[in-house]
Amino acid sequence: MRNRPSDRFFRLCLTKDFFRFELAGMNGLLCTSCPFLLITRIHNGDVIFRVQVNGGTEKPMRVKEKKAKGPTALIGWSLPIMEAADRLNMPFVVVGPPSCEDYAKKYDLPFVGWDFDRWNKEVPMAQRYQQSEELYNQLKEHKTELAVPLFEETVEWAGALNARFREDPRIFYHSLLFRHKARMKRRAQIGGLKVGVFEEGNNKDEVKEFFKRINDVHMKLKDDEFEPIHIKPFDRAGAAGHRLIRSENDIEEKLNDNNFPCLMESHLDGVEVSCEVFIHKGKIKFLNITEYVVFGYSMMAPPSPEIEKKRPQIREACQQLIDAFNIEYGVIHPEFFLAEDGRINFGEVAYRVAGGHIYELMQRTYDFNPFEGHLLCCDPNTTEEELDDFFPDETKPNGHAGSLLVYPRVKYIQGLNIPEELEEHPGFDRHNMFTPIERKTPDREGYGNHHGTVFFYHQDCEQVKQPLRDFVEHDFYV
Amino acid sequence: MGMRITDQKKRERFEQALDLLDQAQPFVKQLYQNNFFQEASRLMNTMDGIRTLFRYADRFDKAGVFENGPWEDPSKLQPNLVNGSLRVDGVESVVALLSELRMLSIAQGNYKHEKVSRQTAKDYLHEVMALNLDFIFPEETEEARLEQGKETERAQRLFKLIVDELSLKAISETLVEEIERLSVQRPIMVNRIVLMIRKAAQLLHTDVEEKSRKKIERYHAAISKLTPLSEQHSDFKDYRERLKQLSEKELKKEADAFAESMRETGLVSSYHVILVRYLNRSQPDLLPAALAVNDKGKANLKEHSDLVQKLIKVAIHPPTRQSLYGLARMLERGVLSHHPVIPGLRRLVELDLQPDVKQSLLDAFPETDGLTANDILTAGVISVLGQPLGIGQGLNPTCQSARALSLWSIHAPGYLLELTARGARDGDIDMRFEGDEIHSQHLPGGLAPELHKELDPVSLVLVPHLDRIYAEMVRRVQYRPDDPHKWVNPAFYGDWIPRGFTKVFNHLTGNVTDYSGFVRLFYATHHPEYNEGYELIYPNPVGICITTVYGKLLGFHAISIQRIAKDPQGEYRVYFYNPNNDSSQNWGQDIKPAVHGHGEYEGESSLPFHEFISRLYAFHYNPYEQGDAFAVQDETVEKIERLARESWGQEYNWVGKNILG
Repeated sequence: MRNRPSDRFFRLCLTKDFFRFELAGMNGLLCTSCPFLLITRIHNGDVIFRVQVNGGTEKPMRVKEKKAKGPTALIGWSLPIMEAADRLNMPFVVVGPPSCEDYAKKYDLPFVGWDFDRWNKEVPMAQRYQQSEELYNQLKEHKTELAVPLFEETVEWAGALNARFREDPRIFYHSLLFRHKARMKRRAQIGGLKVGVFEEGNNKDEVKEFFKRINDVHMKLKDDEFEPIHIKPFDRAGAAGHRLIRSENDIEEKLNDNNFPCLMESHLDGVEVSCEVFIHKGKIKFLNITEYVVFGYSMMAPPSPEIEKKRPQIREACQQLIDAFNIEYGVIHPEFFLAEDGRINFGEVAYRVAGGHIYELMQRTYDFNPFEGHLLCCDPNTTEEELDDFFPDETKPNGHAGSLLVYPRVKYIQGLNIPEELEEHPGFDRHNMFTPIERKTPDREGYGNHHGTVFFYHQDCEQVKQPLRDFVEHDFYV
Repeated sequence: MGMRITDQKKRERFEQALDLLDQAQPFVKQLYQNNFFQEASRLMNTMDGIRTLFRYADRFDKAGVFENGPWEDPSKLQPNLVNGSLRVDGVESVVALLSELRMLSIAQGNYKHEKVSRQTAKDYLHEVMALNLDFIFPEETEEARLEQGKETERAQRLFKLIVDELSLKAISETLVEEIERLSVQRPIMVNRIVLMIRKAAQLLHTDVEEKSRKKIERYHAAISKLTPLSEQHSDFKDYRERLKQLSEKELKKEADAFAESMRETGLVSSYHVILVRYLNRSQPDLLPAALAVNDKGKANLKEHSDLVQKLIKVAIHPPTRQSLYGLARMLERGVLSHHPVIPGLRRLVELDLQPDVKQSLLDAFPETDGLTANDILTAGVISVLGQPLGIGQGLNPTCQSARALSLWSIHAPGYLLELTARGARDGDIDMRFEGDEIHSQHLPGGLAPELHKELDPVSLVLVPHLDRIYAEMVRRVQYRPDDPHKWVNPAFYGDWIPRGFTKVFNHLTGNVTDYSGFVRLFYATHHPEYNEGYELIYPNPVGICITTVYGKLLGFHAISIQRIAKDPQGEYRVYFYNPNNDSSQNWGQDIKPAVHGHGEYEGESSLPFHEFISRLYAFHYNPYEQGDAFAVQDETVEKIERLARESWGQEYNWVGKNILG
């Protein structure tokens, strides 16, 4: 297709919606608002663009296997990962918020300050590639060639950096798949995974429509118990911004302009599990399955035997996901719903370190350091032998470990209330709570940051699962 | 795996946590600290556990227990922060306790620290012990027991270990100095002093220095059984019965002994009160001896004997015993010769009190023994009239009100009595401000609900009203182009306050713009050699910058200059009243207000003239009593400016006409 650029289009070309790229000897501009749809190049003042449909002409992404000589850039401030890199003798440079600079200086940690909070507020997701140039230049000085994202908010930045390191902008757009729940689901669906019914919603009317359509097909009429739907923001980690809609009233009451645009999806029944999938060269090197005992509050790894039984099928679903997303290296953290009829429905997937202390639970039961495993899998230069030596047999855990995330339910914390039954429970391992200095508790968004954690550990999974259920109701902060 | 956490298990878990922490790289210590503190805090719940922790204390630094926290460098720790830290409900108290164990480990030679020597650690711990007597000698009342949390119990265990390892001997001297330092200021409220004396008395069972022992015994006797007779008849009734059998000579001897002790310490024994009440009924002519009043006091007592006897009957009881000292001082001050005072006092005895006033007065004396609120209030008024510089603000930010009460007690006792009656009976006081009447009862805010109640009875009644009125006056003029105090102070304190007012800061910019002018004006209006010899007649309410030991600005404070005079060594000093009742603080740069030894009257603090100015930021002056500002030497002004600039002045911009640019 050949077109003269319209005024509007030309204007766009000059704003930051487009960025220059050099690819395979071709100079051009890439539209960032619809990355999978068109690539443009300038030829004699004309803009030439061609449509490139996702899954069509797009080639599977392959990382060029270069010997990584420079230090690995750890994108996000995470002490456990730094410790892991240190233990692996892997040189690293930390990209963290400027507030961490003094700490890095004190301990002589190579550090590049990057204000993720600010940029994520000011620069739309799709334009972060351009914004990453400055960061890229700073990392170049460190001779960095690999970026590893550690938190949800740093995934696309790492993607942008890796795109620059490997001179392949698609890596950036690939990383955006993990940052947009609708795209993520669509991609999974295309890859053949089972997903719920979903649409992108822009306002309350669209939510009402969607809610009606879902209930129509369930043949739920007025006064019936409606089938619930879920509303989620595209790009927030965990349960932040997640709303459960059970009625038209809920739409009015629970939603406001801040909830849009959003993902709307039908409710999936079943037990929810999360997986930590350690991938190298597109293959699963280790699969951990975590059972959500009380969603948002408590989890256990490895899971109960009835879930463990399904490990082969879950593994299969994970591999399918890896293939669908063309993932070569790193760790993904997908969530699945295991339906009673044996179906495994895909929920969502993240490309970062899992939350909720899951790595600590794995360390307790499998006796290896998952943070180290994470770094090894991100590095294309890690050898098969190294990986085989490193990872334990995923089917031979030593006991079950659980974590209970504790949120204060009071506005002002007067003190701690650690019940004796807890410390005397056979499954109790430890907790990390002291009465905090800041007694006022912040308003909770999603599950927010928990204030404390209780850890359980026992050979018998019931001794872990039962307190994980029971103590959810307990008020540790009073 | 059944794991009721036994002591053995606790130790193992602790060791494991310490090992993990130890093995971690310095930059990730914090990942392991929380768990270590958790395990350490489990051990703190028993004495054995504390000893276990102490055995490991030599490893703490190397393992990184304090890495990257406020306790990292033991050479920077401050003894006066320990008590507060140990009481915190949270991780702070755990770390603070571990830090003290590390210090003990250094002091005992178990651990060598490059910056802190064994002796330094010992000195530090001695100071910490002196400041934490409440942990060393816990209050044994049921109330204290119920109120204390696990933090207090842990701290008590810590100090038991410290006392076992070191000795109490070294702190007895510190303690005695502290008691002397506070009592020489003759505060009305002596709770803290009495508590310290009781604690010190417990040291008598240990091996204290002979010198300290004598002093402790003296102070302890002053608040208890001072004489052989009271020793033998410790029950008040027995003692009183015994008094009846004494000859006049024996009574005189008893009276002299108590009076001497009261005069020496400012503290009153309950037996003294029993004696005085007995003498008041049966041998009133021995009262001057029992109070050890000077000639002026004797004359006053003689002239107003009916009233004094009535006052003793009403107000002087064992719980209000300190007012006996107030009574003696009141007689010596000749307050009763002020016309309105006698009817004012009489009125108090039968005044109808507001129910809430009644309650708060009774609450202030839990062991009332049938006292009425009127008795308490009368006793309070006697104290205030006798010890105008002994009035304290307690733990309240109400230095302005305390200063007012003190000033009125000296110069307007009748007015003070009037206000007291208004507040106690009407629940309202009023003042005129620029033509308007301001009634306290209509005003919101003030500190009343949060008022810390450890106050003398008059302050309890009046401070809530005064504080609200002061705040209201400031509110009304806060947007004027000059400092509100300029208008508020004369209206609030009264016409004794001269109308001239100046302050160091430019009111609009907050900068210091003419410091040398400020200093020179103070010399020209206050220093007898520059102000043409005018004497300061009424206390001058001034504002000072309170600074820390390091000279850093802590905040602003209201005090009153009482007089300016040469001290016995011939140096000019400013003698002032500091309503915080703890006047001998260290303000840094070697500026340490003295409370005795430089010709101070009781309750006064003093500083050399130039040192005082270096902390001054605002004062009133009489424009008609002003000498030559230019006569002040440049070097003097420069010296003062340097002191100011290098202390509180660091927080401000200095621009314009300052000597040092």
